[in-house]
Amino acid sequence: MPKLGEYFKQVWRRRSFIAEFSRSELRAQNFGSLFGQLWLIINPLLLALVYFLLIMVIGGSADGRRFAHLTAGLFLFYLVTNSLTMGAKSITSGGKLILNSAFPRFVLPISATVISLFKFIPTLVVLGIITALLASPLSPALLFIPAILILALLLSLAFALLFATLNVYFRDTKNFLPYLTRAWLYLSPVLYETSSLKPALTPLKYLNPLSPFIDSWSGIFIEGNAPSLTAWALMFAWSIGLFLLASYLFLSREREFALRI
Amino acid sequence: MNLLSVSDQHNSGDRAISIHDLSLTYLTTVERKPTFRQALTQTGRKTREVKALRGINLEIPYGSVLGVIGANGAGKSSLMRVISGIIPPTSGRVEVEGKISTLLALGVGFNPRLTGRENVILGGLAAGLTREEIQSQFDEIAAFAEIGDAIDSPMKTYSSGMYSRLAFAVSVVVEPDILIIDEALSTGDAKFKKKCLERIKSLRSHNRAIILVSHALATVKEICNDVVWLNQGELMMRGAPGQVITAYKESLQVAASPAADEDV
Repeated sequence: MPKLGEYFKQVWRRRSFIAEFSRSELRAQNFGSLFGQLWLIINPLLLALVYFLLIMVIGGSADGRRFAHLTAGLFLFYLVTNSLTMGAKSITSGGKLILNSAFPRFVLPISATVISLFKFIPTLVVLGIITALLASPLSPALLFIPAILILALLLSLAFALLFATLNVYFRDTKNFLPYLTRAWLYLSPVLYETSSLKPALTPLKYLNPLSPFIDSWSGIFIEGNAPSLTAWALMFAWSIGLFLLASYLFLSREREFALRI
Repeated sequence: MNLLSVSDQHNSGDRAISIHDLSLTYLTTVERKPTFRQALTQTGRKTREVKALRGINLEIPYGSVLGVIGANGAGKSSLMRVISGIIPPTSGRVEVEGKISTLLALGVGFNPRLTGRENVILGGLAAGLTREEIQSQFDEIAAFAEIGDAIDSPMKTYSSGMYSRLAFAVSVVVEPDILIIDEALSTGDAKFKKKCLERIKSLRSHNRAIILVSHALATVKEICNDVVWLNQGELMMRGAPGQVITAYKESLQVAASPAADEDV
């Protein structure tokens, strides 16, 4: 383990690196495509429409409220899993940079979370429009949005750190990721609502770190409800607990990364 | 500190780097014949222990250009990475006094999808420079590299010569106390190489410490005043360039071949 004070001072010194790295990575991802940066809005919209089609075909019916719940949950889900997926690759694909300069590796998973946040922000606008049209508009519960977002970002960073470390030691990890995130989507209250879970499956509320986030998030936008105390407790416990665990794992292994990539 | 002109900060002979009993051992995976049958029957990975460095002791003073020579796989790049703090040593100690700039195996341009400009900025920020420091030196870097408009093209479109021009420009313009150049000069053309050597000499006369890893023995002889020879992770010899290079060539039994002096 490095000395934490000195380490995070070095991380803080690299904040412009994180901003610049995320920006140029985003630019490079859509570089040369016809719609360019518009894809940041088109992607999530298409995604929501495709899943809406799925619910309509399988569930037989779907209304505006369902669609609003779906988009709210889906966009938040992708905030976390985009960070996880990019985080997993952040160390193994940082080869040249890691082999040739000395800097705290922590900044690479952070950049993955920041990129994911950059992709999430346009979806907030889309979500705002959809809920204004289809669900309940302004309510005081909207004031909880920043707090939930901060905890969700901490959770996103925790998963980025965790899978970044795992992927250094087990390169097979990245091959499992598409299946893992797909299964996770079906275990999260995105395509359905927690209230419609069969009794046997209700423990998912507590075992899936994303459940309290998606429930609270959709509750705020659609019903105008403030999150329950249980939901707050779960969100705090999952995000802070996983963040501490993942940071410890990452920091205690970090010095070996250059030898393993 | 004025970053645009070379300033003297250290006295010649002051200690820049001292290395005590340094060893580096790591595991690599081996896969002799990757067959489908083997993939099914053997899920684990076979590993082999590599002793990259064995008990290295070395002091490098300011005001010197140290050449590091040795066959491929001798541990030269590993030693440079340990000195720069990128790889932790298995045992032993490295003490560095000053700011290191590394030019290891063309470190700039880690992301070929980004432009040269973006890579330079990112590399500098990762090294801990501020945006202002990089901006104030960017024009000088671009001018030194002489790659023209290509600075704003993705680096995947660069030739290897353009790559090394940019990498070299970054590491010398940034004005390090200690400069490590790992085989970066070999892809440049004769004119650019001459310019680089002049820059190295200027840094040396301003009491910087420079380590040059190279297979180009003629270059090493020309600009180094001190040479070490590594072989299979061990320090075989240290001394005046002529002497060490002769001993190294004898061990390779290529003394009569002019190819050994060339940059290839």
